[in-house]
Amino acid sequence: MARRLRGFTLSDQAVGVLFMVPFVLTALFFMVYPIVEAVRMAFFSYNPLRPDLSAFVGLSNFSYIFDDQLFWTSFWQATVWTSFSIVFQTLFGVAIALLLHQALPGIAIFRGLLLFPYIVPTVVIALIWRWIFNPEIGIVNYALLAGGVISERIYWLSTPEMAMASTIMLNVWKYTPFVVICVLARLQSVPLELYDAAKVDGAGVVRRFIDVTLPQLREVLIVVVVFRTIWTFNKFEEIYLLTKGGPGTSTFNLAVYAFEQSIANLKLGVGAATGVIMMIMLSIGSVIYLRSAGFAREETHG
Amino acid sequence: MEVSLEAINKSFGSVRVLKDVSLHFPSRKFVTLLGPSGCGKTTLLRMIAGLETVDSGLIRFGDKVVNQLAPRDRNIAMVFQSYALYPQMSVRQNLAYGLRVRGTPKAARAEAVERVARILEIENLLERRPAQLSGGQRQRVALGRAMVRKPDIFLMDEPLSNLDARLRITMRAELRRFHLDLGATTVYVTHDQLEAMTMSDHVAVMNSGMVQQFGTPAEVYGRPANLFVAGFIGSPPMNLMPGRIEAENGVPVFANEQSRVPLRHLTQRLQVGQHVVLGARPQDLHLASSTDEASAHGRVWVVELVGSEKLVDIDLGGKRRIAVQVRADAHVREDDPVHVRIDPAQVHVFDASTERRVFEAA
Ligand SMILES: Nc1ncnc2c1ncn2[C@@H]1O[C@H](COP(=O)(O)OP(=O)(O)OP(=O)(O)O)[C@@H](O)[C@H]1O
Ligand SMILES: [Mg+2]
Repeated sequence: MARRLRGFTLSDQAVGVLFMVPFVLTALFFMVYPIVEAVRMAFFSYNPLRPDLSAFVGLSNFSYIFDDQLFWTSFWQATVWTSFSIVFQTLFGVAIALLLHQALPGIAIFRGLLLFPYIVPTVVIALIWRWIFNPEIGIVNYALLAGGVISERIYWLSTPEMAMASTIMLNVWKYTPFVVICVLARLQSVPLELYDAAKVDGAGVVRRFIDVTLPQLREVLIVVVVFRTIWTFNKFEEIYLLTKGGPGTSTFNLAVYAFEQSIANLKLGVGAATGVIMMIMLSIGSVIYLRSAGFAREETHG
Repeated sequence: MEVSLEAINKSFGSVRVLKDVSLHFPSRKFVTLLGPSGCGKTTLLRMIAGLETVDSGLIRFGDKVVNQLAPRDRNIAMVFQSYALYPQMSVRQNLAYGLRVRGTPKAARAEAVERVARILEIENLLERRPAQLSGGQRQRVALGRAMVRKPDIFLMDEPLSNLDARLRITMRAELRRFHLDLGATTVYVTHDQLEAMTMSDHVAVMNSGMVQQFGTPAEVYGRPANLFVAGFIGSPPMNLMPGRIEAENGVPVFANEQSRVPLRHLTQRLQVGQHVVLGARPQDLHLASSTDEASAHGRVWVVELVGSEKLVDIDLGGKRRIAVQVRADAHVREDDPVHVRIDPAQVHVFDASTERRVFEAA
């Protein structure tokens, strides 16, 4: 069938292509081009103050990185921060979703409130958290001291372990709602008859959770974990805004490392190469995870 | 195990879903709850299962009141409308689940599963997932899961409604046989009267949360207790004609503008001037050739061929129509003038205000 468009006659296919052109162009310009540019830059030495000295250096950016102790430290810290963040936000997310799934009076208000951390810009949150965690005047120390939980102030953001713990807490706090929403949506589509069947079969609360609820959540949890891992591993602003990677370099992750190399050390090539390494690691990691979780194979049960 | 329901009430919010339901299901019988959508059948079944609480009233299994018992302690099994098979488990695991949860030893479990699979002829499906099964196969697995524990009471909620028409007919017979072999009391929910009539020992006809009639399929069909049952049971539906009782030589006669039917057998039960509704099944009416024996006259409105029968819709005038079933080879054409013979012994009379059946003197 053909469509008439201001006197022109276009085939359906042509109209389809026409509708897609703006998106494709935008995607090319804002997504593909920067990636290509970053990959290209990874093989160049590039000082933004001396663009004229830019030169092709082959793999030397990469060998620089692999010889840099800070890269490996950042890599390890990124892994720690990502793992703890994901584990806790998944656990909390599922727990809260199960709670909010109950048909209790007034629960709708809490479902609404849930989005709050997710909506507020990270900058605002990070700044507030810096106040909250301030050892002298922050409310956390005040509350803990007043409650008698601790007897002396905790230096939340200025000792390495506590700084790491704080960034993890911030990430967990901010992104747990995301997990809750995904899980809650899935919970609402679990057939109620399955629970009835399990009750008649004699399953108690725990067994019903393990044998009915969890299997139904499996797929959404796989997706949530993959996405959250990618996003958390790459995350820059939460760490940078809360601790600037410090104290020292104790909360550096690879994103902060790349930023420091590019902006502070003016080694844009090294920063770009770090980005390329992250990209490769995450792609490989995701594929392995999805494969082993059985997500890629033909899904036949439903 | 016999099941008794005594004055069961249930409301969801302000909606009264069940109103003083009292029923007695004899041991080892196949009892059907039949009624239109939303009349509370599922709710009642779920109460017997223990999946729904009772607002007031008693549920007894044998002599024991089970109101407070959890589903797992009632030794019941249930087949759900959607089958509710656990999607991540194989057929074997689905069948064994109830036993596993109850801590049955592995060997006994395997044996029970094999036995059930053999009976239901699903041995070759044991390693499959539910999603890899056809509707009919899923249905069998659901039945198997229910029978593996040897329940006292077997509950089924419209188990055939997801199957195609052909399979439904075969499964009807299989379910009936299955019930006889299992030796449990079966409570079956359906809104399909054909299922209810063909499979049951007893039928409870329900409407808007109340039991309208409880009896054998023959009783419910042959002597409907009220207008609702009369209109609900039977296909094509019963003709229902409002009219008044007049007297003729001391015999009550049903009369309206279109027809007159003497009701000799109800002489003691009817008063002159009483408003009644006369019911006559299309199968019980006959086309007559001459005027004198006829009880109503009209003109053929449409003729529908239904398999081996013809359903003749006759316009009696005054916007009133009556359906008569005749053999397919009968000669009737649209617009023919016809006479309808109403056999007084075959009619059902209902009081117009109470809507109850006027029963013959005992
Ligand atoms: N959990 C519930 N909350 C509120 N109302 C309900 C609930 N369950 C059932 N109802 C209402 O109770 C009435 C009876 O429901 P029920 O499911 O027992 O009907 P049914 O006879 O099984 O109908 P169907 O043939 O459509 O399955 C309906 O009006 C329904 O809307
Ligand atoms: Mg129902």
